[in-house]
Amino acid sequence: MSHRIYLLPVWLRLWHWTNAVLMIVLAITGASLHFAGSGPLLVPFSLAARIHDIAGVALVATYGFFVVANILSGNWWQYVPKPPGVLGRCWRQAVYYGWGIFKGDPHPYPPTVEANFNALQAIVYWLIMYAVVPVVVVTGLVFLYPQFAPAKMFGVDGLLPVAFLHYIAGSVVILFMLAHIYLGTTGVRVTSLFKMMITGWHEE
Amino acid sequence: MKSVTQSLFAFAVLAGVAVSGASAFAAEVKGAAPSDPALVEKIRQSNAACYGCHTEQGLKAPPRADLDLEKLRQLVHDPAQFDASNHAGMECTVCHGQGYKAFPHAAGAKQSISECGECHATKALRIETQFEASVHAKNFKEQFTCRTCHDPHAFRVAAKLGDPHKIVAQDNAMCVGCHNSDLRFALFSASVTPQKVRPDLDTLHAWLPNTRLHWQAVRCIECHTPTSPVKSLGMSHEILGKDKAEKNCVTCHSQETALATRLYRFAAENGTADLGFANAAILDSAYVVGATRNPIVDRTVGVLFGLTVAVLLGHGALRIALALIRRRRSS
Repeated sequence: MSHRIYLLPVWLRLWHWTNAVLMIVLAITGASLHFAGSGPLLVPFSLAARIHDIAGVALVATYGFFVVANILSGNWWQYVPKPPGVLGRCWRQAVYYGWGIFKGDPHPYPPTVEANFNALQAIVYWLIMYAVVPVVVVTGLVFLYPQFAPAKMFGVDGLLPVAFLHYIAGSVVILFMLAHIYLGTTGVRVTSLFKMMITGWHEE
Repeated sequence: MKSVTQSLFAFAVLAGVAVSGASAFAAEVKGAAPSDPALVEKIRQSNAACYGCHTEQGLKAPPRADLDLEKLRQLVHDPAQFDASNHAGMECTVCHGQGYKAFPHAAGAKQSISECGECHATKALRIETQFEASVHAKNFKEQFTCRTCHDPHAFRVAAKLGDPHKIVAQDNAMCVGCHNSDLRFALFSASVTPQKVRPDLDTLHAWLPNTRLHWQAVRCIECHTPTSPVKSLGMSHEILGKDKAEKNCVTCHSQETALATRLYRFAAENGTADLGFANAAILDSAYVVGATRNPIVDRTVGVLFGLTVAVLLGHGALRIALALIRRRRSS
């Protein structure tokens, strides 16, 4: 029988799946708005706009919850890569994804109660959740209340730089999501990590 | 629009007068402001006589004691606004006739006020066909003249206004002047049986996301008119009711945006075109989701997306293949 450790509290799992659903909805509706008129697979513009607004507001709320809950629970510490040897550990993890994983090597840094994430994971998650997602959230809020956007920036309508940042940051989140979902299949079994995100128990 | 046909007849009758008496202003009637200093001064003096009474100043300090101030209050104009209008440089009496030269004005002077078609005959003919099909003609044909919407003392055509924000402010004011005023709406709807109650604009447009933002950024006629079949008329005068109005957001919110040939028809291309944006002329005034896109950035994001998917699929396929090989070897 495999060894199991309890890693993820209920609030974190609830937030994770809520965030995942919202991000997927926002990605689909956001692409439908940005590429409007480009194809039949897109959500109709008016509907996409309404859903995007609602999901966007929900994301602001869930992101606020995430930040506050992380502070109160101390979970924020998990996102901080601990020196020394952070770069070395990142390199080892990258080499594992690029080579060792194909040979069936074990994970170089399996999760523990003290360190849920390997160094590479911690840095990427930190960048996404504390640098990129805030850009998406703030620019999205300006989009929602365009009266607060500057009238002009760089000689063009002030909403353009806001929209541009929103688009680029949103795209980065989508690219991260793709990789994140794929790396979710790299557990002991293909489904192990997905199961962990539901039960909270990590299987080794 | 009872005026147009009548106007054409009146135009023919008055043609002789125009040739003989008003020939000094013929060039101005065609649109160009006069440049001859003597003529400019003559017009200024002539109009100053009218402004003596028909301005806020005239109302505050009437030059005569026998004026009906309540009536005058309805007939006050802003000289600065007129001087910025399409009709700037014209003498008031070109339209208002000789009956207004002296005070008291001649009996029946009001009936001699020129109709728009007397000068704008060709345009009026083209507009009339479109107007006949409009929702206004269906309900209030006899009450509608050009002046119902276009105040000849203030109106400026979009080509001269240039700035889309100014075009939107001016043109939407014409629509909401009635459609957001119970009093003014009732002036027209009173003739319809049963009398039409003014619908609430917000309720009517509840389906439209960011309604208020749309009203500030685009004209009502972007959605409430079809494409003009007449090339010389940028916008059709066939005002569409809610049933026929445009409801497909993508008409504007796409790279092939209709805004480029409508509101932004006269917007000059600006420097942002160098950044490779589609519909860059719009960017000076607005960011329109779906329309003001940068194809280079879109392609870059698309390539990154495709590469990521390809790498992940390739990585996964290789993992599966190698895992199967390992399993076979071990068994």
